Amino acid sequence: MTTPKVEVQNIGVKFQTADGETEAIRDVSFSVLAGEFVSIVGPSGCGKSTILNIISGLLKPNTGQVRVYGRVGYMLQRDHLFEWRTVLKNCLLGPEVQGQDLKTARENVKMLLKTYGLNEFMHHYPNQLSGGMRQRAALIRTLAVNPDIVLLDEAFSALDYQTRLAVVDEVWTILKKENKTAIIVNHDIAEAISMSDRIIVLSRRPAVVKNIYQIRFAQPGNTPLENRKDEKFRHYFNAIWKELDVHVDQA
Amino acid sequence: MSTRHDLSLERHEYLKRTRQQKLLVLLAQIILLVLFFSCWELAARLRWIDPFLTSQPSRILQTLIALYKNGSLYVHIGTTIWETFVGFTAGMIGGILIAIVLWWSNFLARVADPYLVVFNALPKVALGPILIVWMGNGQPAIIAMALLISIIITIINMLHGFRSVDEDKIKLLKTFGATRGQVLCKVVLPASLSSVISALKVNVGLSLVGVIMGEFLVSRAGLGYLILYGSQVFKMDTVMTSVIILAATAAAMHLGVAWLEKKLLKWQQ
Repeated sequence: MTTPKVEVQNIGVKFQTADGETEAIRDVSFSVLAGEFVSIVGPSGCGKSTILNIISGLLKPNTGQVRVYGRVGYMLQRDHLFEWRTVLKNCLLGPEVQGQDLKTARENVKMLLKTYGLNEFMHHYPNQLSGGMRQRAALIRTLAVNPDIVLLDEAFSALDYQTRLAVVDEVWTILKKENKTAIIVNHDIAEAISMSDRIIVLSRRPAVVKNIYQIRFAQPGNTPLENRKDEKFRHYFNAIWKELDVHVDQA
Repeated sequence: MSTRHDLSLERHEYLKRTRQQKLLVLLAQIILLVLFFSCWELAARLRWIDPFLTSQPSRILQTLIALYKNGSLYVHIGTTIWETFVGFTAGMIGGILIAIVLWWSNFLARVADPYLVVFNALPKVALGPILIVWMGNGQPAIIAMALLISIIITIINMLHGFRSVDEDKIKLLKTFGATRGQVLCKVVLPASLSSVISALKVNVGLSLVGVIMGEFLVSRAGLGYLILYGSQVFKMDTVMTSVIILAATAAAMHLGVAWLEKKLLKWQQ
């Protein structure tokens, strides 16, 4: 549990456009340990997603460096299942792109689909699935490339509230069961608290690490939904809310 | 799914009503057509209009039968369809390929942009005489005309289609480490299928315009030739017959594309 999976060291990012320069991130450092679920929260537009883009290698920081020990999988805001592919073929997208042995990958994906209740829908097209099932299919698509670290970028924000509570529980359970490390970008503080071991609070742009909260509930190993009932939940919520509120006032 | 037996009374009524309405529309369409041709025929017979100038349905039918009997009907239809098909296919393939190149290289796209705009605005018919000088007095010039008229709009529409593919879908593929070629084949092209279909629809019509224009200018066969020849020797029966055949041909090609659309966009249902 103590080996680091991701080490972010003093990264800084400046975006260049015709209108000028925007400093998005300034000197952000943190590390994530194996098996840990870490959420990044902060005011909107503070560069949370940019940090995930850097960890996944899609973007190079201007300063600082990132060390990632293992393969990275990414879950985006919406499921982005391709309408022209069946569920099975959607889940095989990663292995296909990476040129893996498709026969093995197909068995692996079929296994995952079966385990997580999508067996019957394998040959359906995405528009025949409910929102929750689509999100599960998207998760399996991410898991199909066997990532050690899963990045979730507002992965549930396109769902309605009730589905969302259930899907968060589901995804959390699946990721824990598959022994993944997760870095979650979230603007929903309550959701972040319910599913994380640690929460990194960022400041307004240019983002710096404002505070890091260690989340410890009375009953370790509870699902996010159960955690919401924990006595400490409200305490954490208030503390983080207050921290973010300061910046709203400044803005 | 409910079977026929347990349909509710309301459902039954609703289905009946929609069926009746559909039938009514079809009936009205047929009546309109019949009415138009009968009035035309009647007016010509009663000499309200001069059939020498307007022709008349019965004469058109005779012309059609005569064309069929001397074997030239299919020659003319076949020539026009073939030229349209070749020009249209070449325009589609060429247009899509060029659009891919411009999607791939942002630099080239920016360089090409003003040329595309001007070329698109230019009436391609104006280039007809140039084509004839360059390619001779025959089919190649006609096909080139059909191609020119459809290729520019194909490039513009396809490039627009490629660019409106959801950025996040592309990002998703990049998170798997996809190359630009893979992004093209796995997301951009399949996601642009509906753009391809709409380009197809536009191009069938445009290519036909190009072919008829070309046939006006140079040809010795085809519906455009028949129309022009008929008007030059003042045989309005031939002209009208050709126009009607042309309308039927255009409708058939349109139906073909509609059928293709249904086949290709299976997953949308």
